Amino acid sequence: MSKKSWHLSRREVLRGGGITLALPFLNSMSLAAGITGAGRPKRMVVSYIAYGVYDPSTKDGKAHEWSWYPRHDSGPLTFKNSTAPFQSLEKYITYFRGLDHAGGYGLGGHSSGDVFATGADMSGPEKTNNISIDQLAAKTNGHKTRYGSLVMGTEGGTGSYGMSKTLSHYGPGRPIPSLHRPQDIFNRFFNPYGNRSVKDVRSDLKREASVLDLMMENYKSLHGKLDAEDRQKMDEYLESVRSLEQRVERTSEWTHKPLPKVDAKVLNLDVSYTEPTEYIGCMYDLLFLALQTDSTRFATFMTESEHSTGNMVGNFANQVLGYTGATHDIAHKRPDDFSGQWEVWRAERHSKFLKRLRDTPEGDGNMLDNTVVLWGSAHPHGSHGTKDYPIQIAGGNKLGLKHGFLHNYEGDRKKPLANLFLTMLNAVDVPVDRFADSTGELTDILA
Amino acid sequence: MRYGASVALGGVFGYLPFQAASAAEDAGGSPFGIPAGVEGHKSYVKVFFDTYCIKCHGPDKSKGKLTLHTLGGDLSSGQGLERWEDILDVLEFGEMPPEDEKQPKGVEVQAIVQWIDSGLRDYVEKANKEAQVPSARRLTNFEYQNTMRDLLGFELDLKTALPEDPKKPYHFNNTSEFMLLGPEQVDRYLENARRAMASAIVDAGKPEVHRQKWTFEPRGPAFAGEQPDEVGVYPGGRRTISAGVTLNKWPETGEYRIKIKAAAILPPGYDEVPLRIVMGSALKSDAGTGDYAPVGTVYLKNDVDNLQEFEFRGRIENHPVQVGQVTKRGVGPTTMQIYPQNLFDNGQLNDHRANHFDRSWNFDVPRAVVRSIEFEGPVTDTWPPEHHTRILFDSPLRESDPKAYVRAVLERFMTRAFRRPVNPDELARFERLYQMLEPGFGTLEATIRETLSMVLISPQFLYHTNAGNGVTTSGYELASRLSYFLWGTMPDEELLTLAAKGKLQDPIMVAAQTRRLLADARSRDFVDNFTTQWLSIEKMKAVNINRNLFPRFLFTVPNGERAGQEVLFRPTIRDYMHDETVGFVAELIKRNASVSNFVHSDFAYLNEPLAAHYGVEGVKGLRLRPVAIKPEDRLGGLMTQGSVLVANGTGSAPHPIYRAVWLREAILGDEVKPPPAEVPALSDSAGDSADTAVTIKDLLAQHRQQESCNDCHVRLDPWGIPFEEYNAIGQFQTKIPRPGASVPKYNAKAEKTFEAYQERLKKINTVQVEARARVPNGPEVDGMADLKKYLLKDRVEDVAENIIRRLLSYGIGRLLTYRDRFVVGELLKKAKDEDFALQDIIVSICISDTFLKSPQTTEKQ
Repeated sequence: MSKKSWHLSRREVLRGGGITLALPFLNSMSLAAGITGAGRPKRMVVSYIAYGVYDPSTKDGKAHEWSWYPRHDSGPLTFKNSTAPFQSLEKYITYFRGLDHAGGYGLGGHSSGDVFATGADMSGPEKTNNISIDQLAAKTNGHKTRYGSLVMGTEGGTGSYGMSKTLSHYGPGRPIPSLHRPQDIFNRFFNPYGNRSVKDVRSDLKREASVLDLMMENYKSLHGKLDAEDRQKMDEYLESVRSLEQRVERTSEWTHKPLPKVDAKVLNLDVSYTEPTEYIGCMYDLLFLALQTDSTRFATFMTESEHSTGNMVGNFANQVLGYTGATHDIAHKRPDDFSGQWEVWRAERHSKFLKRLRDTPEGDGNMLDNTVVLWGSAHPHGSHGTKDYPIQIAGGNKLGLKHGFLHNYEGDRKKPLANLFLTMLNAVDVPVDRFADSTGELTDILA
Repeated sequence: MRYGASVALGGVFGYLPFQAASAAEDAGGSPFGIPAGVEGHKSYVKVFFDTYCIKCHGPDKSKGKLTLHTLGGDLSSGQGLERWEDILDVLEFGEMPPEDEKQPKGVEVQAIVQWIDSGLRDYVEKANKEAQVPSARRLTNFEYQNTMRDLLGFELDLKTALPEDPKKPYHFNNTSEFMLLGPEQVDRYLENARRAMASAIVDAGKPEVHRQKWTFEPRGPAFAGEQPDEVGVYPGGRRTISAGVTLNKWPETGEYRIKIKAAAILPPGYDEVPLRIVMGSALKSDAGTGDYAPVGTVYLKNDVDNLQEFEFRGRIENHPVQVGQVTKRGVGPTTMQIYPQNLFDNGQLNDHRANHFDRSWNFDVPRAVVRSIEFEGPVTDTWPPEHHTRILFDSPLRESDPKAYVRAVLERFMTRAFRRPVNPDELARFERLYQMLEPGFGTLEATIRETLSMVLISPQFLYHTNAGNGVTTSGYELASRLSYFLWGTMPDEELLTLAAKGKLQDPIMVAAQTRRLLADARSRDFVDNFTTQWLSIEKMKAVNINRNLFPRFLFTVPNGERAGQEVLFRPTIRDYMHDETVGFVAELIKRNASVSNFVHSDFAYLNEPLAAHYGVEGVKGLRLRPVAIKPEDRLGGLMTQGSVLVANGTGSAPHPIYRAVWLREAILGDEVKPPPAEVPALSDSAGDSADTAVTIKDLLAQHRQQESCNDCHVRLDPWGIPFEEYNAIGQFQTKIPRPGASVPKYNAKAEKTFEAYQERLKKINTVQVEARARVPNGPEVDGMADLKKYLLKDRVEDVAENIIRRLLSYGIGRLLTYRDRFVVGELLKKAKDEDFALQDIIVSICISDTFLKSPQTTEKQ
C-alpha cells in the first residue's frame, strides 16, 4: 500500500519553486582530465537489456528497418529506425551477431541473463555462478579509485538462481546486490561522510577497524563449533566482514583525498518506476558522474531484468509506450508497431549515456575513448533462446579498439562471447589469457 | 494404489517374478521378487525401460531431458537418486508411459516401483546416519523485521532498507540454498542496527514534547455541500479536513499519540464507516506522488451528537516526511501531513464517475466527521520509556559497579538477541568491545547503543544458530524453530522457559506448544508469509488490467492528469484479494479443516467489495469474514479466488497455461519445468488482449503441431481449460469475446451505471466459453465445478502431500530431497488417518523427527 520510501518528491520541490535549475553537473571536464599514457583512466561498463531484441527477418536477408541491428551481414554500419539514436556514434560502436556463452545454454527460458557478465558454466549440477568481468577488473585495478566498482540494476538486490537481478558476482555463489535507488547511489558515491568532518571520519574508521577485529574473533569462536556443512555456509559471513575491513582500510586511505563535489539538486533522485524514461536517465546520469569524478572505473547496470513480470519494471513498455501487456509480452508476440518503438526507446536511453561520455573531453580525447561499454541481452530475437546474443560494444578507441562494423559470427563462424570479454579485459589493463570458455582474443575489433 | 494395477499376467517378462505377483498383491504388496540392487536392475528394470521408455528417453531422444540408458542400477552408490525419484513419481501416478504408447501391466509397474522405492529407502537410511544436510541460514527480511520488533518492544520499519530476499515462484525465501549474504547486506544490517538503537535508548533528561491541535467546526458547507469537518469517500476540497492537516514539529525518535474526536453520518441501511488516519508526505493524487504510513483505523458507529475520542499510537520514525519547498527565499520547512480517509467501499465506487463526476454521491453513502486531531510526541507518560529500561534497567550497580552493570546489561540483551543463554566468551568479547568504544562515545547510553548495534550484526543474531559450550540444549534450537515457523519471529518467554527446563524434549509438550502458537495472533504473520509464497500470488498486484474490458474493477480517478488510473493511497480490491486468500487459509487452520477445502469449500472469505465483485449478496462492511456460499456463486476453495486468477491472467483474458502451471505447482505439487531454450516462441499466445486473442483451441492446436511443445503441453494445457470460466479479474463468465473482436473504448459518461455496463459486456462477450478438457490421466471435465469434483474424488491425497511438503520445507528452511520422501510418506499416512485436518498436519510436522532434529547449525559441544 505504502510506496517505497525513496519515492519522495524532490521533483515536486524543483517544480513547485518555479525555478529553473540548469546547473552543469560539474565543470564539463572529467576529473581525470589531462591524464594520458600509462595514467590514462581505463574504464569498463556492462549494461543489460532483457527479453532479447527485435530482429524480424526480411526477404532480401538484410536487416529489417526496425531491427535492433544496423544490418544483417558483416560490414560497415548503416542506421535505420531502431538504430538511429546511435547514428552519430558510428565511429564508436561495433555490433556482433553470433556471440554467446555456452555455459548458459542449459539455463533455459529467461535465465541466461544470470551469466551475461560471467560466462560461467551453469549447465552442470553445480548451480553457482562465477566472477563477472567487472569484478575481475575491480580486483586488479579497483584500488586506483575510491570505489572498486558500481553495481546497478532496476530491481535491486541479487535475485536468485535463474532470475538474477544483478550482473556482478564476486565469485561462485556470491552475487553482488545491485543498487536501484538513485538516492542510495548518490549517498554512497558522493556523500559518503554525511555531515561529519574528515577528521571525525578518520578517527571513526580507526575505531571501526578494531571493532571489526573483535567481530571477526567472535565469528571465529562460533565457527569453530559448527559442523563442516554449516561452516561452509557461514563462510559468506566471514567474507562479508572481511570485505568490510578492507573497505575501512581503503576508505581511510581515501580520506586523504578530497571528495568530488556533485550537486544533488540537478539530479532527479526521487524519480519513480512510473516514469521509466526519467528513472533510467537518472541511473545513467549517476553512472556517468561516478565515472566522470573518477570515483570508480568499473560498473554494471542491469537496466531490465528477466522475470520482471511480477513487478513494475516489467511494465516499462506499458508506462512508456502504452503497450497493453507486460514488456515480456513484446518479446513473445513481437507486435510490428511496439517492438520497434521499444527498441528505439531502449537505444535512446543507452545512446544518451554514450554521447555524454563522448562529449566530455578527457586528456587527449574524450571519456568514451577511455571507456569500453558493452550493451546487450542474453537472448536473441526469440525470448526463450539462449544462443546468439545481441551485442553492441562501444568506446575504448584510445584503448586499442576500432569500430564502425557489424561482425556476424553466426553458424560455423561462431565464437564465445568470452573472447570479446578477453579483449575488453586486456583493453582495461587486466592481463588475462583466459576467461570462462574463451578461446582467444577477438582480433576483429583491435585497431 | 493410484494406478490401476492389472492382475492379468503377461507383459514383457510376465513369465518371471510376476507369476507370484498377483498373489502377492492381494496379500498386501510384499516385494515381488525383483532382486535388490544391480542384479535386479540388469535383469528386470533395464528390460522394462528398454521395452517401454527407451524410445523417448534413450540414446535417440531425451524428452524432458531424461535418459534412462545411462542411469546406473546401483542406488546404494548415491548417484542419480533425484532422477530415480522422478521416475518413481511418474510411474506411481501412471503419468508415463504416455497414454498413446505401449502400456505395461499394472503388476509390472508395481514391481519396478517397489524395486526403486526399497533401493532409495536403503540408501536414505544409510546416508542419514552419516552426513547431515546443511541448513544454516540467515534470518529472512521478514524474520528480521519481526525479531527486531519483539527484541526492542516496538515496531520500526527496517525491512525496506534491506536488499530484497531472493524469490522463486512456489518456493520459500527462507530456503537455505537461496539465501546469500554479502558485504552490502552486512552494511545495511549495521545501518539498521544503529537506527534501531538510536530509537530504543534515549538520552538522559526528559525531552521536549511537541503538541499540535487542529479543530474543524460544521460552520457551513465548505466544498460541494460538505461541511469542513466531513470526510467523504471522494476526498473533498482544500477547505475540509479530508485535505489533511500540516504537522510542523515532531521529535526525531519516539512514540507519538494522535487523538481524534470523530463520529459517523450514516444513511439508512448502513451501520458503520471505516475511518483511517495516515501520516506522511503530501499525497498528490493528480501527480501520483506522496508516501505515507498508516496511523490506525476505526469503525465509527456513533452519531454527531455523540462525538467520541479515539487514540492511536505509533512510532514517528516510520512516517515519511515532506521535504520543504524550494522558493526564491530558500528552502521551506520540512513538514508532515496527517490525513483522515473514508475507506468505505461497496465495490461500486466507479458507478458515479463520469467526465464531470458527480460528488453528490458522497452524501448517499457513509461519511465520517472529524472534529479535531491532536498530535503529541514523544509520549512521556513513563520516562524513560519501557523499551529503554528494558535494556538499561534500573539497578544500584550502575553507580556502585559500572563494569558489572554493563556486563549485566549486555548479558540480558544478548541472551534475548541470541535466543539462548550467552556464553562467557561471547560476553567477555562484547565487554571488551564496550571498553574499546567508550572513549569515543562518552556516555553510557551512546556506548551501549554502538555495542548493541554490533550484537545485532553478529552471526549469533543474524543466523539461525545456537552456541554450544554446554550452555545450550537442543531445546533452544527447537524453541526458535517453532517460533520462526509459526510466528516468523523469536521465541517468547514461555518457549524459552520450557527450553531452559528441558521440557521441549517431550513431543506432547511440542504438540501443545504448536497449538498455542497457532492460536496466537502472531501466527497470522506466518500464514501470510507462507501463503503468499506458496501460492505465488504477489504478482497479482502488478498485472496490467485492461480498463476497456474491465472499467469497474479498479477504483479509478475520474478526471485530471491521472484520469482512468487507479486511485492511490487507499486499500484496493487487490489488497482485499490478498487478504481473502490469506484469511481463507488462516480460517482453515483455525477450524482444523481438511485440506480438501483448498479445492472446494462451503464458505468464502469476503468483505463487501469482494462480495460485490464476485456477485455474492448480503455482505456488508470492510472486515473480511467467512461467508456461506451457494453453488451458483461459483466460489469455494483456492482455485476460484481473485488473487490466483488475476495473477495467472494477462489482465485482459485468462491465461490457461499460467493457470495450468499454477494448479500443478501450487495445488498438486508437481514441478513444471520452464519451456526449454531454443523452443521457438509461438506467434501468439492466448488472451493477450481481446482484439488479438486466439482461441484456446487454436492455441492448443499450435502447441500440438510442434512436437517440442506438445511433449509437455499435452500434459499441461488441459489443466488450464476449466479455468476459462473465470475471466482475467477472477469473475465467473459464460461468454467471452469472439476471436479477433475489437473492444470498443470504454465510455465513462455513457456506460457508468451497472446496467449500462452489463449491456456493454453483452455486446463484447458473444461467444460461449469453452471449458471442456480431458484431464491428463483423468476423465473429461466440463468447467471448474467438474474439475473440482474430479480433484476431490481422486486427488485429495496429492493435495495433502503437497501441503505437507510445502509446510515441512518452510518449517525447516530447506528444499526437500529424495531423502525426505519417507518422512513425508509417514506424515501423509498420519494425515489420512486424521481426515487431512490442516492444524493436525502442522502439529504432526512439528513433532516429526525431521523437524525435531533438523540440524540448524548444530554445534559441537
